[in-house]
Amino acid sequence: MAWYLIGAIFLVGLWGVIADPNMVRKVIALSIANSAIIMLFVYYASLSGEGVPILGGEGTPVDPLPHALMLTAIVVGICVLALALALVYRLYRLYGTLDMREIERRVWSESE
Amino acid sequence: MNAVASNVLVSNAPILLILLPMVAAFVALTGKLLPSDGAAARAIRTFSILPLLPAGWVLAVSLPAVLTGPLLYELGGFPAGIGIALVLDGLAWISAALIALVTILVALASLPHREFDPGYFFFLHMTGAGMQSVVLTGDIFTMFVSFEIVAIGVYVLIAWEGSPQGLLAGLKYLFLSSVGILFFLFGVFLVYRDLGTLALAGISEGVAAAGGVGGSLAPGPGRSLSLAVAALCVGIGVRTAFIPFHTWLPEAHAWAPHPISAMLSGVLIKVSFFAMIRIIRVFDAIALQPLLLWIGAITALVAVIWALAQHDAKRLLAFHSISQMGYILAAWGAATSLSIPASYGHAINHALFKSLLFLAVGIAIHRGGSRNLYRLRRVATGAPLLAVALAVGSLAIAGIPPFNGYVSKQLVSTALYGSAAYPLLWLAGIGTVASFIKLSQILFGAGPTQPDGAGAGAGAGAAAGLTSAAGAGAGAGVGPPLGLAHPNGSELPAEGHRRLPWQEGTALVVLVALVLATGLAGEPFLRGLWRLAEVAPGALGGGGALSAPGALGGGGALAAPGALGGGGAPEARVGLLPAVFAADRLLGTLPTVLLGAVLAWVVTRRRIRALSHRLATVAPRLKTVLVFFVFGLVLFAIVPILAAAP
Repeated sequence: MAWYLIGAIFLVGLWGVIADPNMVRKVIALSIANSAIIMLFVYYASLSGEGVPILGGEGTPVDPLPHALMLTAIVVGICVLALALALVYRLYRLYGTLDMREIERRVWSESE
Repeated sequence: MNAVASNVLVSNAPILLILLPMVAAFVALTGKLLPSDGAAARAIRTFSILPLLPAGWVLAVSLPAVLTGPLLYELGGFPAGIGIALVLDGLAWISAALIALVTILVALASLPHREFDPGYFFFLHMTGAGMQSVVLTGDIFTMFVSFEIVAIGVYVLIAWEGSPQGLLAGLKYLFLSSVGILFFLFGVFLVYRDLGTLALAGISEGVAAAGGVGGSLAPGPGRSLSLAVAALCVGIGVRTAFIPFHTWLPEAHAWAPHPISAMLSGVLIKVSFFAMIRIIRVFDAIALQPLLLWIGAITALVAVIWALAQHDAKRLLAFHSISQMGYILAAWGAATSLSIPASYGHAINHALFKSLLFLAVGIAIHRGGSRNLYRLRRVATGAPLLAVALAVGSLAIAGIPPFNGYVSKQLVSTALYGSAAYPLLWLAGIGTVASFIKLSQILFGAGPTQPDGAGAGAGAGAAAGLTSAAGAGAGAGVGPPLGLAHPNGSELPAEGHRRLPWQEGTALVVLVALVLATGLAGEPFLRGLWRLAEVAPGALGGGGALSAPGALGGGGALAAPGALGGGGAPEARVGLLPAVFAADRLLGTLPTVLLGAVLAWVVTRRRIRALSHRLATVAPRLKTVLVFFVFGLVLFAIVPILAAAP
């Protein structure tokens, strides 16, 4: 069940990046898709045990490696998110709209 | 230099190659503390290049060691498999040398321009460090992180000038490559789930144990591994920019600042290509080779058609980057004995001449004040070196002897000879000649600014001019390049007297010299490249060589695996190269050039131009692009499974 949910969240994010014309919502959708991948790793790791992976913990410790990897992936994701929003902001300042189709149309008609 | 110092340098070579550009980046960052227009900030930019220079020394010293076997460096002393391991094998050495060379030249060529402040140099050097770590890393998660370091630097650099086109191109590239990297991460997940390891050496062992990618038609690890390799390839494929993942490249490479375009087209797509090849080799996914052959051949041809339709000089070059990546991919996918020297050789040669072309065209656009190649006229007036650079670059990409493009294209066609994809590449070769005859118009013409349309008849005249510039270009490599007269030899217009800044001049001279050297000495160069490329931790299916712990104690991280995975000594796999300067091969380029001249004349007709203008402005929307994307993923996943079916 959880696998399908994660898959659905990923597809929702992907669909947002593809289909939503609003650039801010595209960025948010990208972040959602990114979170789905992070959940994929974390959920998989949670199946490998039930205890916390520290010395002296109780039960079988979960595999700590995916958590460490995802910590890195989250940091990378935040950087990309910040940069994407900065680019969106600069475009908004130039054109006064967040509609990517509209901006594309105006940019290419200018550069002809 | 004593032996101990040399040993320390060799055993730390992999980490030094990454650290040097990082040091350069932090030197550049100190410049942000100074007033941005002051002389001190400008000096800091120059100083920031200095830490890159020792990379050449590190590479030279480590070459003999690399030739005997891959160098392994364990970060922080944690053994490979637990910690991060860096592997300097032959392919990594080649790419590291290329990255170091081109980033130094690009930084040098950026110096004369005020708008590139220390912040720009910080991102430039961090991108360099990221690229070095992409090629040196020994596990796929570090590869993901390195790719993202590169990507963040590149997004900023593409949008650096703040033009609307640059910002939009940067944002589009960000969306596409971020989605791509999510697929890559998904691939990483599948690998970790099925094989329990992320190290490249561990993966090749695990794949062999699971019975290979694709496996049987029955559900099992073989099938999910084929999805894994597809996800990894598609994730990187977006950055390698072959069809159907190419759509971001023309805009990003055309609207980035000129020196950055040279870096993107010159090394960045090569780095992604080499990373993809490394992954395919680790997974032993030979079933993908026919797919790459056809994708490559189609990419080469289709991108050339689009390139011919362009009137923006930089977009034309950008489409040719896609097209030449097609050649490289097709040569690798052909899976003949010459595939490796042909594809790696063309990748290196393309990096050299395309960096040269982007730098030269960038300077030309800067001087001429227009990007439209029908309006740019006599851009090289007062700067004969620029004319030489443009001529040498154009002749090299068109595959005219004796430049390096000719040598590697001959190898590519020999590797592909007899394949059904060969005619596509032959046609692409004609298109390449035609579009560079079209581009060479910017060297000639009556005046510096022309109304749009006066250039229509110049195509055929330019074809003749290109040949005369060829002789001049060849001569300039031997003598001092400034002794060259302007091709037309006529009066210089007043504003054409501006001379090239020495930094840009040096970058152009170095690249022209390298294009000539790798062309004239093409056979020994490619043979050396081949010999080096065969130094790999277990070529195709071998593996395991890296898991042997290093024999050196006391923090010495140098581990020289005694025997390579399979296939015996590297020398044994290096075969003979065909004699590329034989008379029949030289004559064989003649019909291509003639047909190219005819095609160039046709496409510069007024009526055809109107038609091609419509073609040039076809820009797929993000939605279409992402549909392509999913299609590509399915294709990559299904081919190994189908190939494994009886």
